[in-house]
Amino acid sequence: MTNKGTSFYERLEARGVSRRDFLKFCGATATMLGLSSSAAPMIGAKIAGAADEGGLYPALWLHGGACTGCTESIAQATYPNVADIVLDFLNLVGQETIQMSAGVQTLEGNEEFAEEHAGKYILIIEGTVITGLDGNMLRVGGHPFIEELENFASKAAVVIALGSCAVDGGWVVAYPNPAKGTGVGPYLKSKGVATPVVNLPGCPMNPEELVSVVVEALLLADRDSDGVPVLGPIVNRLDANGRPKWLYGSTIHDNCPRRGHFENGEFVYEFGSDEEAMGYCLYPVGCKGPQTYRRCPMIRWNSSVSWCVDSGGPCIGCANWNWVDQNAPFRGRFRRVGAGVLGSGGVDPAIAAAAIGGIAGAALIAHGFGMKAAKRIGSNATLKTEECKEWETKHAKKGGAA
Amino acid sequence: MAENIVLDPVTRIEGHLRVEAVVENGKITDAWATGTLYRGVETILKGRKPEDAFYVTQRICGVCPTSHGHASSMAVESAYGIKIPNGARLVRNIYESAENLHSHILWFYILAALDYVNPAKALSADIGDTVDLAKAAGTGISDFAAVQERVGDLVKGGDLSVFSNGWWGLNPITDAEKIDAELYNPDMPAELHLIGVAHYLEALEMQAEAARVMAILGGKFPHGMTSVAGGTAFVPDSLKLDDILYRLKRVVAWINNTMIPDVLAIAPFYTAALEFGGGCGKFLSFGLFNDTDLDMHNRFFPAGYIDVANGLKVDPVDTDKIKEDVKHAWYTSPSGLHPQHGQTQAISRWDDSTFDLDGQYTWGKAPRYDDKPAEVGPLSRMLVGYLSPGADPAIKGTIDYALDALGITDPTLLVSLLGRVAARVLEAKVMGDQVINYVVELVEAINSGDAQTFQEYVDHDGEGAGFWEAPRGALAHFVNVENGRIANYNVVTPSTWDMSPRDDNGVRGPMEEALVGTPIADVERPIMAARIARSFDP
Amino acid sequence: MAHKPVKEAHPLTFILTHWINLLAMFFLVLSGFYIHFPFIPGLMGLARGTHFFWMFVLLFNLLFRIIASFFVRTTNMPGTREQDLDYKNWGLQGANTHQLWPTVKYYLFLKKDYPISAKYASLQKIAYLATIPLTLAAAYTGFALWGPTSQIPFFQAGTRWWASLFNWGGGGALMPMRILHYWIMWAFLIFTAVHAYLANIYNFAPSKMIFAGIEEPDALIGH
Repeated sequence: MTNKGTSFYERLEARGVSRRDFLKFCGATATMLGLSSSAAPMIGAKIAGAADEGGLYPALWLHGGACTGCTESIAQATYPNVADIVLDFLNLVGQETIQMSAGVQTLEGNEEFAEEHAGKYILIIEGTVITGLDGNMLRVGGHPFIEELENFASKAAVVIALGSCAVDGGWVVAYPNPAKGTGVGPYLKSKGVATPVVNLPGCPMNPEELVSVVVEALLLADRDSDGVPVLGPIVNRLDANGRPKWLYGSTIHDNCPRRGHFENGEFVYEFGSDEEAMGYCLYPVGCKGPQTYRRCPMIRWNSSVSWCVDSGGPCIGCANWNWVDQNAPFRGRFRRVGAGVLGSGGVDPAIAAAAIGGIAGAALIAHGFGMKAAKRIGSNATLKTEECKEWETKHAKKGGAA
Repeated sequence: MAENIVLDPVTRIEGHLRVEAVVENGKITDAWATGTLYRGVETILKGRKPEDAFYVTQRICGVCPTSHGHASSMAVESAYGIKIPNGARLVRNIYESAENLHSHILWFYILAALDYVNPAKALSADIGDTVDLAKAAGTGISDFAAVQERVGDLVKGGDLSVFSNGWWGLNPITDAEKIDAELYNPDMPAELHLIGVAHYLEALEMQAEAARVMAILGGKFPHGMTSVAGGTAFVPDSLKLDDILYRLKRVVAWINNTMIPDVLAIAPFYTAALEFGGGCGKFLSFGLFNDTDLDMHNRFFPAGYIDVANGLKVDPVDTDKIKEDVKHAWYTSPSGLHPQHGQTQAISRWDDSTFDLDGQYTWGKAPRYDDKPAEVGPLSRMLVGYLSPGADPAIKGTIDYALDALGITDPTLLVSLLGRVAARVLEAKVMGDQVINYVVELVEAINSGDAQTFQEYVDHDGEGAGFWEAPRGALAHFVNVENGRIANYNVVTPSTWDMSPRDDNGVRGPMEEALVGTPIADVERPIMAARIARSFDP
Repeated sequence: MAHKPVKEAHPLTFILTHWINLLAMFFLVLSGFYIHFPFIPGLMGLARGTHFFWMFVLLFNLLFRIIASFFVRTTNMPGTREQDLDYKNWGLQGANTHQLWPTVKYYLFLKKDYPISAKYASLQKIAYLATIPLTLAAAYTGFALWGPTSQIPFFQAGTRWWASLFNWGGGGALMPMRILHYWIMWAFLIFTAVHAYLANIYNFAPSKMIFAGIEEPDALIGH
């Protein structure tokens, strides 16, 4: 690392980032992490330390079956110089959408990078793991992407599964999952790769989420004998689903600015209505906020200018596992109910209710007529008291009839 | 002697693309474009609610989700027989403009510029001369010294981050002259390279600003939430309209004062690119930005079809003439179907012979118009607008201005690599000026009470299609609704038009055709092939 | 055999718990429907309040009912006024352990005669006892959905496990839990319909007793 010798701050300033800008960024990060802003200098020291010890922190970003939306999303990270600072402390060698190289230089470059930084780099995966046709439904450089994934993941310190597609396959795995997609975590587990995976579900992921995780990883890292951060401890701050606790601990509904309207029963029943103009709750038009763990109402999107509900669009629950099957139809409260795969199967609740009520009612009525026909009930009922007594006497073990 | 070049992955694009070509005597003689990813969105949509396609189809493309969602809603509206109200029309026009501005800025600076601007050469620029050059070119003056220092630090250091391995196997410092001669133009001054790099960094902010307009209208970008079937879920009010207007003004000013002058300054060093890369010579546009009658032929960028072989004239688009061939793609479903009744059945097994350039070699279908390939994208839109008598004069005026500035007299030279690059940038200017008009029109509509944003409807069975334009070209969604559910769904994306494989007649797709004839100085460093591929913004 | 319903079968304590169960289920179902889809505006706060109130009432009532069965005496055989502690009616009873299959056969018209039972017939006993786990399941799924409790590991684990069964692979997805909660309500509705039908199939004397404690001198139930 040839950057040794100049201090981190000098290098930042050489890149147009003043010490003040940097501390401001650390302050924002600290707030995001739920720490008080007095923690900012500490975070700054940690990152600066990480960079001074080992140069830019090595990272590799690979695209699976992606729409490039998560890359687009990180390109929108615009809190003063956030994108620049990520570039400045992450040595992001492979990133197909923005990297300068192409073709064989890209493939060989990634390979050399992984060898040089084996066991130390952060691997960021965007997009679904496509296993259809033995992985040939997504080929990169003439080979199935899944081979590339397994190779680079096994050498990484930590894998960040970026966006719902990388977490569990995203919309691609919705019924009938024609490309046989899956998530990075499940795929690596099936291949016996033990590298820890951090899940950042959402379609797309919010750049603040990724920045937060990267900072968190470096902040909490222990150092090895060379002073390079060891990324293992990040897994201690993940929930049972591998998501950072501080980002996915509450539902959209819990933090929604329209929650008051929900409790008041002030709802939007039709787009373009007066109720919508007044910013009422979107629950009846299908909002999935109550079922979705994410912090959109607080982090917001695109430099915090807005978020889905703020623009009038009900939440579609894009941070849920298999979110399309789970939440469709997106515009309705009444989603299909049933067992198994719900994307295609299942029944509408109204039909289910009618069927259950109808069948139960019809069965009881039919049974009633049967009882009547058998002369068990009604005016001509014949109650066979004596026969019953005989039967009972024969079968009773003890006690018996009165 | 014939040599093969393989470019896989083609980077700085959306999605996964492989380009393979045969080079003879320094020129490409044959080429194949391979889409290497299959996800099967059409299969997934079957049996779902038609309105849900709006959300799912956006995820086809993270760079142009707005257009996909819009085309999907248009298809459903067409099936249901809904006519969107005026307010929704204007909101959608603004929304779509913002996406195009965003996409064109992102494409030119972040995706394409590194093929024309060498960050390493920017290190030797003189700051004083750079400022003078920027003044002379009429482009934005940045803190060039800071940018140069920053790049210098990166290049001198070991960690090149996203620039790693970016010089086709050459060392940016020790091989500087070779790089300049082979990959760029030695006549292009270091100062102009520095201007390009500085504006690359500014472009990051400007594309984000355009995206923020989309975020206000749709909640977030990518994957907005409001262009739903029936109109828009966004309700415009003063709180948000001023925000939209002034953010757009900032972006438009930057396009006019930085992006356009940059292109006009850089283009003269790459005029060789006017000689090749033209492609199939047939151009298709479905039209962009609705007028009050919502007619595709009456849009701001009108729908139209040009076959240069038949002369420089525009024919109206007959959507019945569209079909999709799959003989050379990895599908077993029938070939030559109209997409309204298209089928998508992927092959069921893969072995060593599956990838066969003489047989099936891509996941992309081959859409054809009137049985011929057609190029789609800004070049098509601008040419159709240029040649349509009824189109807005701003389109013709902007092209004529640029041709004049570059000293080009023959507009057919636009049918080339450089023309395609220039068309995209010039289109950003035309759109930028127009979007301000739409915001003003929306304000007037609100004042006159003609700004209803949503049309209530009852769903019923039927067939529908939405013809629209993504930033990268003609986009169509087709939906058949039965029993309130999607019976069949089909998407024809601009990428399938442009990166189309050979059709059933063996005719190459537009990108493949554009690659043929492209000079390749060194098969080890096929930068020109990469430029052609990226010029389509695939 | 036919016997006379006697009011000692339903002492006042159980008349009250039965009323509370009925009211709780009525309000829970109604407010649950409203929470699922607020068909008229303005009542969400009321609906949620109602739902939580009656949920707690139902749970405490269940607890009370179970405890009371060890202290309250009821008749333990049809047609008699002899009383014993209630809990003895719920376990295995020699009087009717052998009657399960004959009872099923009787209701399916495969057997002509109704087996004489204890206070509760075998099927009846199973159905009534099943409402205990059903209530607990409704409560568990409800707590798993409710914001303040959904993150408690005890509930989160269930959410995760249940979601994993549905090709959704985990993620703490709440939608499967929501649907389960919904289906449990339907199970209650079906139970209620069958219960009301079978209880009153001969005449309404049992209803008069369980709701009002009134004994009809001439009524006979059973065979």
